[in-house]
Amino acid sequence: MKVLVLGGSGYIGSRLCALLQASGWATPVSGSSRSRASGVESRQVDTRDPASLALALRGIDAVVNCVAGDARSIADGAGRLAQACRDAGCERIVHLSSMSVYGHLEGVVREEAPLDPTLGWYARAKCEAESRMAWFAREGGHAVMLRPGCVWGPGSELWVGRIARFLRSGRLGDLGVAGDGWSNLVHVDDVCQAVINALRSPFTPAQILTYNLAAPDSPRWNDYFVDLALAIGATPVRRLGPWQLRLDAYLAGPPLKVAEKVLSRVGQAGNIVPDPLPPGLLGLWQRHLKLDSRAAERDLRVRWTPYPQALHEAVQELRSPRRGRELRRSAADAPGHPSAGPRADAAITHFSRDESILGGSNG
Amino acid sequence: MILDANSVERGSRLAADVCVVGGGAAGISLALSLSGQGISVLLLEAGQWEEHAPTQSLYAGEVSDERLHSPPDKYRQRRMGGSTTIWGGRCMPFDPIDFEARSQVPLSGWPIGFDDLLPFYPEANRLAEAGRFSYDARDALGDDAAPMIRGFESPLVRTDGLERFSCPTDFGKRYGKRLQVASDVQVLLGANCTGIRLQSDGRAVRELEVATLEGVRFRVAPRVAVLATGGLETARLLLASRDVAPAGIGNEHDVVGRYYMCHIAGNVGALALNGRPRDVRHGYEVTPEGVYCRRRLSVPAAEQRRHGLANAVARLHFPRITDPRHRSGVLSGLFLARRFISYEYGKRLNDGSPATPSVYARHLLNVVADPLDTAGFLTHWVRRRTLAQRKFPSVILRNRTNRFSLELHGEQAPRADSRVTLSDRQDLLGLPQLRVDWRYSASDIESLRNTLDLFAAEFERTGAGRLEYRPETLEEDVMRFGAYGGHHIGTARMGADPRTSVVDSNCRVHSVHNLFVAGSAAFPTSSQANPTLTLIALSLRLARHLARGLAPHAALELQEAAA
Repeated sequence: MKVLVLGGSGYIGSRLCALLQASGWATPVSGSSRSRASGVESRQVDTRDPASLALALRGIDAVVNCVAGDARSIADGAGRLAQACRDAGCERIVHLSSMSVYGHLEGVVREEAPLDPTLGWYARAKCEAESRMAWFAREGGHAVMLRPGCVWGPGSELWVGRIARFLRSGRLGDLGVAGDGWSNLVHVDDVCQAVINALRSPFTPAQILTYNLAAPDSPRWNDYFVDLALAIGATPVRRLGPWQLRLDAYLAGPPLKVAEKVLSRVGQAGNIVPDPLPPGLLGLWQRHLKLDSRAAERDLRVRWTPYPQALHEAVQELRSPRRGRELRRSAADAPGHPSAGPRADAAITHFSRDESILGGSNG
Repeated sequence: MILDANSVERGSRLAADVCVVGGGAAGISLALSLSGQGISVLLLEAGQWEEHAPTQSLYAGEVSDERLHSPPDKYRQRRMGGSTTIWGGRCMPFDPIDFEARSQVPLSGWPIGFDDLLPFYPEANRLAEAGRFSYDARDALGDDAAPMIRGFESPLVRTDGLERFSCPTDFGKRYGKRLQVASDVQVLLGANCTGIRLQSDGRAVRELEVATLEGVRFRVAPRVAVLATGGLETARLLLASRDVAPAGIGNEHDVVGRYYMCHIAGNVGALALNGRPRDVRHGYEVTPEGVYCRRRLSVPAAEQRRHGLANAVARLHFPRITDPRHRSGVLSGLFLARRFISYEYGKRLNDGSPATPSVYARHLLNVVADPLDTAGFLTHWVRRRTLAQRKFPSVILRNRTNRFSLELHGEQAPRADSRVTLSDRQDLLGLPQLRVDWRYSASDIESLRNTLDLFAAEFERTGAGRLEYRPETLEEDVMRFGAYGGHHIGTARMGADPRTSVVDSNCRVHSVHNLFVAGSAAFPTSSQANPTLTLIALSLRLARHLARGLAPHAALELQEAAA
């Protein structure tokens, strides 16, 4: 079986390619906006261009859609992909959606819960992408949609690297009520395992299946922040109030964001200015949404990486000397990410940036 | 879900697996712990989110001697979060010896041991936001942590024990959202439980009567009822529910309300330490998790047994605030500002010594003469307490001279004649008010005296310093403000024998198979420790007990729902 992994150079995509390759069961083809071979076959694809997609789909039996980026690459990209797959006779898509499709919903949430696209452009785009997948299934395809929480693991920039920097600089700590939400952290390998088992599930035409993905033992954000801070020695952990976070996000955020953009334009590595604190994270950290992922456990036979082990792996990677050299800041490297700021630049820059992070973790 | 009790239909009868009465540290911990196990929980909270004078007035009552005990509507809060809305946040577990039957403490001994509570302390610590469950300085602060007093090592005096400090966490505000989103928990605000109605045989709770100040009355018929209303109110509710059990519920042997304990506390003596001031840890230190903690002097269990001592601790403290001879601008500032400090925190600034114009003048002089220190203190206070989310726990003065007083906090022996009873007066909802008659024993003072003598002898022997105090005024010193406020213990004490206890080792009222008590009312003895952490741990243990008992039914219900 030949599997095209779109977004194959991203955090999840590259790990998935490596695991698929190692499994010997399927041949991964890494599809990304910039062709870059690293042990797996790769094809250059622009998911917003139907012709480019059609070309990339030649000889492909199934597609895994790990594309991240701006609203257009997410929503329109999914639509074009669905269309191209139907046209090319590729009958299987595993689509990486996100828990942000549940919007403001709180409590324990199963897959049947109603969608709420009001959380921002990202949630809206993810909801739209899901409806394109539903169209693909109605047209006779077999679609599996995965809704991960926050995908982390070794080398995760969003949920480990950046958080660690916030902790070290005292801008993050124990947030009290503002960090009482469930983290819904899920190890990147567990997501890949879910994808692979979804690819191996029996083919049923015109079927769409949806699964939440979050480790059942993933802690509340405060616990994660304190655990990570203790593990990396960012102590004593600070207790921050909601107003301190809001000042950081809304007052310091915009100038930092501008500085980051300017520096990246002039080709400077982004480690000079502190990371801006995206306001979306403030909402995420206090949202009491707990993904119920028992269905994935049952149907996709996901065996969750225990939280202490995942934390240990992430911290080890953070400490490894390779990382300092290869670390680059990236705003959105996982489809599970609900809070990246709007990006004017296209998916191209996005993918290329992620590669440098991932080389260290998976190479 | 959190609703106002006035939205409940008048005269209706609500059902729930567990009805928890009281939304304080015990009730909220219990409800959170029960959630997610297929059990429906109804939490009745009498108050609202903020203090409300008419609701608070339902706590009013009498005390037999105002010098010995505060009025019953002080040091506790009838509102969401309970008294955690005003607590100081001091946390430490009970010691294993507290659970033992000790000859030196009459009527001591719990039907459970320290090991029975130990599994629940870490979670209690988390809920109280006091960091890791680690109360040894070397473990909590690291091996390279400096000793409390360099050069003072004694097998008779422990100095590496810690107390930790909660933010202090207001359990209502901190955990309200968790209760709000829990689909199996319903909280009713403004819901005053006015009576517990038993079945005619007296062996089970039939229903709880609930009333709001707005006049809505309804009933709750739970499978299990838990009183989590604090050490005073629990006894009041039991005693006032007299329709089936004439002496009050669980009171067949006249135990409810008796054995009422607080703590014996006060500032005593003068400790002059040798060596350098910077070799002494008298104030707060910060653990890696960012939690304030403080060292204390205590006597190890074996030495308590050998010397026949009740459990007590001492902290290094500053001189008596009210006496201007301390010449501290900070302390004098506190004295002068005492009218702006709440009753609970200002009480120990009013010690009955005459505040003459000359005393005021001397305090004022202290403030004026010490402007830098006063300003530095104020800056620190505003930054680390007023504006901080995790509050600097209390006033600590810079140690310049290595001279301290000892701040004692000790247990008192339970005694049957220290008790709360119902008075002839009623509150707005018709419930009899409480009358508090708190008493202590000469042996409590004697034990503190022996503890101080032991400390003094050890400071002397090791050459670390010199502790002097006046044994003849010790009782006056620790009773100047009466019972230490806010620790209401023992009125529905736990035990194996119904003749000397109200609840069994699972906190169940002996004579009523579905009525439980959560909180410090169930403690048979008072320990050196402040009660909050342990009452949370005991509530979590109770939650596990209830969940186990109710689980088969719950599983069945779930199956039915799925079918």
